[in-house]
Amino acid sequence: MKLATLRDRTPELIAGEWGLHPDRIPALEAFCALPFPDKKSETYRYADTQEIFDTERTRIIPQQGEVAPDPRRVVIVDGVVVSAPDGVAIAFEETDAATKGHFDPLYSLSHALSAPTIVLHPTEVDTLEIQHRYTQPDALLAYRIRIETTANTSVQVYESFFDAQATGSVILYGIDVRVARDATLRWIKNQTLGSTHSRVFASHYADVGENGTLDLSTYDFGSGQGLATLEVVLDAHAISSLHHLVYATEQARRGTVSRVIHRGHHSHSDQVAKNILRHDARGIFDALIKVEHSAPKTIAHQNNQAVLLDEGAYMASKPQLEIYIDDLEASHGSTTGQLDPKALFYLRSRGIGEEEAKKMLILAFANTLIDRIEDKVLREWIHQSFEAVYYGQSHVACLETCHGCEENALGAFSVNS
Amino acid sequence: MSILEIKNIKANIGEKNILKGLNLSLEKGKVHAIMGPNGAGKSTLSKTIVGHYDVDVTGGDILLRGESILEMEPEERALEGIFLSFQHPVEIPGVSNAYFLRTAVNAKRVHEGKEELNAAEFLREMKKTAETLGMKPEMISRSLNEGFSGGEKKRNEILQMQMLHPDVILLDEIDSGLDIDALRAVSEGINAMKDGERTFLVITHYSRILDYIEPDYIHVLKDGQIVHTGGPELVAQLEEKGYESIGAAG
Repeated sequence: MKLATLRDRTPELIAGEWGLHPDRIPALEAFCALPFPDKKSETYRYADTQEIFDTERTRIIPQQGEVAPDPRRVVIVDGVVVSAPDGVAIAFEETDAATKGHFDPLYSLSHALSAPTIVLHPTEVDTLEIQHRYTQPDALLAYRIRIETTANTSVQVYESFFDAQATGSVILYGIDVRVARDATLRWIKNQTLGSTHSRVFASHYADVGENGTLDLSTYDFGSGQGLATLEVVLDAHAISSLHHLVYATEQARRGTVSRVIHRGHHSHSDQVAKNILRHDARGIFDALIKVEHSAPKTIAHQNNQAVLLDEGAYMASKPQLEIYIDDLEASHGSTTGQLDPKALFYLRSRGIGEEEAKKMLILAFANTLIDRIEDKVLREWIHQSFEAVYYGQSHVACLETCHGCEENALGAFSVNS
Repeated sequence: MSILEIKNIKANIGEKNILKGLNLSLEKGKVHAIMGPNGAGKSTLSKTIVGHYDVDVTGGDILLRGESILEMEPEERALEGIFLSFQHPVEIPGVSNAYFLRTAVNAKRVHEGKEELNAAEFLREMKKTAETLGMKPEMISRSLNEGFSGGEKKRNEILQMQMLHPDVILLDEIDSGLDIDALRAVSEGINAMKDGERTFLVITHYSRILDYIEPDYIHVLKDGQIVHTGGPELVAQLEEKGYESIGAAG
């Protein structure tokens, strides 16, 4: 099936042609009401939409079945939950519950094309690892997850992706998150895409309840194509802390398009993006913070930094504020440039070769976002993912990235010295 | 015996000609001090020696142990034994002090045909050296110079100097921004390196640092040239009567 056949069709016609349940009509209506995702659309202007939409692919419809026990993680293979740990309640919800008004047409489309939504409710665990595995080449796969949190709890979600076998596939997936009142959700996404891997378009929605906190860190590496869109709605005193690190190489097309909507008073958002682009990679950071009339005393800050390592690399940066009140604190900024020549010279003046010095500065730029992960194991996984792309293999030594290792080593030696 | 010889060097920063045929010979194992009024070219001289990208050398030569270094990259000059303590060391968030310095130390060791230090050996050495400079242990694992006070940055420069064992040490306004305790600690660190083999070039605006690091020679730089050279007694004369007394007022 070709996604291009969705163009200029009515929701009813699409539902008929694609064999979708009538309850998906509202999602299709939302999809049809938005501009078709192509190069003319703001969000998808750097995606290879012609290849994505005009190529014939086999549609995979996930058929959920028995879920095996797994001590550590929820494993989802081609949209099917195959295993999960105790302490995570899993349900499959037939009725679609897409949030109305999401800005991304692929959010609505993924809801429309998805089989039952996978609902994950971590009831007895504080860490939830979700491993996405894609195994089918030249496939079209759509699936959605919803994560529910309980009031006054703190949960960490770690997402990883394995897709080397899914050459040429297009994945439309996304997570709808409800952060309950006084709850905290730490959400870490670690995704490396190669040039021959699948194209992954993730469209997320997060509703952060009163006094709730969403702390999202995304780590997008590699030479492949992928885009994440995100809409966050903040209730009173809610906090969203969004951090995005992109290291894109070769012909990669990666980035984040987001809308953070302050709906409640005293809500607080902080968004930082760092992008490192080399070769002919394209990056996009298109982020809007909207402060509604109902959100006085809002604090909203947003910043995007990009380092272009080669002449062919290009960054589209569009930080935006849309503000309807006076009583707030807000800022946004964007810088795009080369490595700091003063820092580079300082390292070289100590005998460190230019290439090695550049690598150190790039690692440093990336480390400022990687090192914010408190969980040491996850932090090292992210370091390894970054270095696997950066060096072609991971050779993390304790001195290079892990400050904790140094402290441990120093502690050990202090006895003898 | 001269270890570093600067011959008729001419250098621009941007369009501006700063060094105008400067000649200076640094004797091995001695402490040389460069003094001069504002805008004389003191910092440009240190930048020229280390190959800073701001500086465009338009004439003359700089010889280290008789070999020209002008075509060398900054890292090659460092590996050959030249060390500049910066007036304003840069902050590099994300690069840990230990990782940076171990990379530099091992680059030097490889250049000298020695085996690299492993993490344990290096950390032991770094910790010991840092302690002698009165540095807090956590500064070793913190990002390079990030959030360091002025005094901490200068101590970190001296730590690097002691770990890298350079032959020619350029100290650019090492005393700027230091309180009396920090100045004493930094000076002790520098004096500990004096072994009759190493050569120091102390670039300073004020004579205060020379109370702590006793120079063998004083050179007065004015308008891009060395206009006067004398012994340590010149410090007192300049302090008392100013550069005008030797015909070198700014």
